[in-house]
Amino acid sequence: MPQSVTLQREQKTDVYHNLGERLKETSRELCGIMFLYCSGNPPQLESRVRDFLQHESGLEIEVLKDSSTQTLAILLPGFTLDATHYQALLLKQYLQETMEDADPRITLTVFPGQVDPTPGVLKQMSESTRLSTSSDIHIFTKEEAIQEPGRILIVDNDDTIREFLTIRLKMQGFETLEALDGTSALELIEKWEPDLVLTELNLYGIDGLPFIHQIQQLPVENTPKIVVLTEQRVERTISQCFKNGVDDYVTKPFSPVELDARIHRCFH
Amino acid sequence: MVAIYYVMIVNILYFAIMGLSYRNISTIFRRSKYSSYNTLSGSELVPSVSLLVPAYNEELTIIENVYCLMTLNYPNYEVIVINDGSSDETLSVLISEFKLEKMSNPEIRGTIETNDMRGIYHNPDYPQLFIIDKVNGGKADSLNAGINFSHYPLISSIDADSLLEKDALIRMARMYMENPEEMVAIGGDVRIANGCLIENGAVKKVSLPRKIWPMFQSIEYLKAFLGGRIGWSHINGLVIVSGAFGLFRKDYVIAVGGYRGGYPGEDMNIIIKLHRYMLSHKLPYKVAFCPEAVCWTQAPDSYKIISNQRMRWGRGNLKNMIENRGMLFNPKYKVMGMITMPYNVLFETFNPYFRITGLLALIGYTLLDMTHWRILLTFFLLNFLSGYLLSVGAIILEEIAFRRFKKLSDLWKMLLFSALKFAGYHQLGVIWRVQGHIQYLRKNNSWGAMTRQSWKEESKTA
Repeated sequence: MPQSVTLQREQKTDVYHNLGERLKETSRELCGIMFLYCSGNPPQLESRVRDFLQHESGLEIEVLKDSSTQTLAILLPGFTLDATHYQALLLKQYLQETMEDADPRITLTVFPGQVDPTPGVLKQMSESTRLSTSSDIHIFTKEEAIQEPGRILIVDNDDTIREFLTIRLKMQGFETLEALDGTSALELIEKWEPDLVLTELNLYGIDGLPFIHQIQQLPVENTPKIVVLTEQRVERTISQCFKNGVDDYVTKPFSPVELDARIHRCFH
Repeated sequence: MVAIYYVMIVNILYFAIMGLSYRNISTIFRRSKYSSYNTLSGSELVPSVSLLVPAYNEELTIIENVYCLMTLNYPNYEVIVINDGSSDETLSVLISEFKLEKMSNPEIRGTIETNDMRGIYHNPDYPQLFIIDKVNGGKADSLNAGINFSHYPLISSIDADSLLEKDALIRMARMYMENPEEMVAIGGDVRIANGCLIENGAVKKVSLPRKIWPMFQSIEYLKAFLGGRIGWSHINGLVIVSGAFGLFRKDYVIAVGGYRGGYPGEDMNIIIKLHRYMLSHKLPYKVAFCPEAVCWTQAPDSYKIISNQRMRWGRGNLKNMIENRGMLFNPKYKVMGMITMPYNVLFETFNPYFRITGLLALIGYTLLDMTHWRILLTFFLLNFLSGYLLSVGAIILEEIAFRRFKKLSDLWKMLLFSALKFAGYHQLGVIWRVQGHIQYLRKNNSWGAMTRQSWKEESKTA
């Protein structure tokens, strides 16, 4: 049900937006932030965390919840990075002791610090918490942050694929737009100037190599990077694509994780 | 009395063929629904195809068509447009649109005799597109020139006034790949694009034509393709693969000497020749019809053009039958010789004469009071009902398997016009065919006028 997905997405964006605003207001003061995610969504997690931290530190801490992903954002005003890290260690130990199968994932950083608290960065931190595979506490650094949310144009005739890619890339903090066919994609690239075009090769209007050529000849300041995501598995086409300056070529059916990695590489 | 027997046999045959169509429709429906064409269209294993597009004075539609053909869902293919010495700007609009340049030393491998080629144009930015410019020599000659230049083992002839659906070619190739040894030719389903909304070289919204001539043809095509050809294909007795969209094995087309020039009906001729060649060499083979591969074509929308087209068809049909009379009732030619050819001669070629004499005889009998007027009425009703039933049968086939027409009102309209067809249009068809035969006897051998409308105007007027 696409509608419900969109709604949730909107709501979630709001959480990070508010959080970003809040941090901006107190921009001169030091503020630690950690994101906590426990798989399986244990009950009363939020209040437990609140009680524990208040009891422990005796300070005014703030806990916000992203209700669509069940990730908690904990603001620790006045905390340095070490102090935040220490609190995170305590919290992790406490959760592991009090709840049997708790498996907390924590990502933290401090503002002002290495990164700016933009909604995109916050969202990215939250996502990396949730998707983290190691139980070690993770300190979020500048290298990880996507400086500006990259703009990605998704070109595919298939509604399902477009929706899937949009959701996934947006969660990672990218700005996305969609185009159904070659001609409208070319118009959009000229108007919107995306950093990357993620495209199928089989399109209406114009497709394949002529389409790639057209993108490269558009009068835009920075020619977008091109990642091809297609059913087309003919070797000759693949090598011709690379010869014509395509940055990467992924065939369908594709692994989303691999695609993420390839897209991220294009941005660095 | 002969007339009544004739009508009865015709109708029994028609219904038998349609029955075969019905037997096959569920298979067709399932294979078009569940085949994963997308995966196939990216596979290295699908054979490469050369699309041959003969173009004579097509400056209005050619660009749109080439764009349409270049964006097919197909792994490996080339588009060869053959400019048959057009007197309009066909060649120059192509050159300027695709920034083509004359190839300095093109390699032409085929050996079929054709008129002189003036040059081959290409742009490396569009690696799959080639334009052959040649001295005017007719459609068959252009196709032969295309065959000579083509690089791939399969060829597909496509009319320059037709748009292929994105999946059409891969659907055909899927059928070919079922039995690549025996498939020698596959025909596609041709539908009338008049009235449909066309965008970006693709049919966006299907609806029936507004004008009356295309409307009748729409039903006629539906009946011929779905009601007839599925059945004929089942018994391997197809006598024609539409010139608008067909796929052929290049080696066999060359083996039978390519397309025959100098006369219309080259699309029927090549199929008969293929049948003949394969049967006389005792090779197992199949000529198939692929109803899920759809090609949209512009139907003539004025009396003059349509009558011209039909006379040309009549002429071509007669010529082909006379040329291949040796196959008639020749058991060596199996289904072709025993069923298809006799059927075509008796019920297609000579159909008008039987009808006219039968009608005259009946009227004569009635006037002379030899039969009752009731018999005459029964005869007419019987004729009408069976014809109508066949049209309705085709519409039902369409609804079972394809459902391209989304609007309910279109269905009612089709049912209405299937009936109206018998009040005038049907009779005109008979007359046109006779006129075609007269042309043949007078050795009038022109292609006749064929006008084109730009696709854009087409969708505006729709």
